Amino acid sequence: MGILAKRKKARAMGEIPMSSTSDVAFLLLIFFIVMPMKQDEIGISLVLPGKAKADKVNIAQSNVATIRVHQNGALSLDDARVQLGDIQEIIRQRVEANDKTVVILETHPDADYGWMIACLDEVKMSGARKFTLKTTGL
Amino acid sequence: MAFNRTTKKETYIPTSSMGDIAFLLLVFFMVTVVFTDETGLIVKLPRAEAGEEGIRELITNIYINNVGKISIDDMIVHSEDVTAIMSQKVAGNPFLIVAFKTDKHTPYGVVSDVMEGLKEANAVKVFFNTDMELPGVAF
Repeated sequence: MGILAKRKKARAMGEIPMSSTSDVAFLLLIFFIVMPMKQDEIGISLVLPGKAKADKVNIAQSNVATIRVHQNGALSLDDARVQLGDIQEIIRQRVEANDKTVVILETHPDADYGWMIACLDEVKMSGARKFTLKTTGL
Repeated sequence: MAFNRTTKKETYIPTSSMGDIAFLLLVFFMVTVVFTDETGLIVKLPRAEAGEEGIRELITNIYINNVGKISIDDMIVHSEDVTAIMSQKVAGNPFLIVAFKTDKHTPYGVVSDVMEGLKEANAVKVFFNTDMELPGVAF
């Protein structure tokens, strides 16, 4: 027994390869950079009048341009039929002629919301800064 | 006379710390990213050219689908409940922006009712979510 000295077995050391760690980190990095980009909020912002009486103002009729969105999606500007594509130019001219012009966008409750947004988009693009929303019948 | 050849030093950019930098950036983006866990309702947003970017951190979404169903925080609500829900939210955050994620075929009356509720709750900053306009395509 003494002669046959116990041989120490060389244990194989367990090892986790770390060489690809930075690659994994880069992949995760790209994921976390790209993910939030998908959720951008794009839209049209507006401040509604509050419930306070001070938020209600009287405007002279001569300074008002009323765009109406009818139930069937037809559009009119100051009671004259108008095409969606013409609104921007007409409002721009009105604002240039009178900078006190306030655009009222009056929409029928049964009209598609998309038509209201399409008109609001045209009003915004015209450069008009004073505009408000109204619902027909309210 | 013999000329001594000067040994050229090779220039290199040390890349050994690249992994550390990647990890630092990774931690930064993991901490700052905001994931929205709201399912909402399926809506087809209207298109608009004048779209601007909203401040996501301040936004509370109101989904309204094409049949007029309203969803706030993944709960289906009636338009009469909007004032109570939004009053609580405004009390918690006075800079709150209410984003309308509304289907383009939704009757405007539903949106109008919700807006009346928002006025009552004093949540006056609204945002109408849109898709980017494609040339030649109506809303």
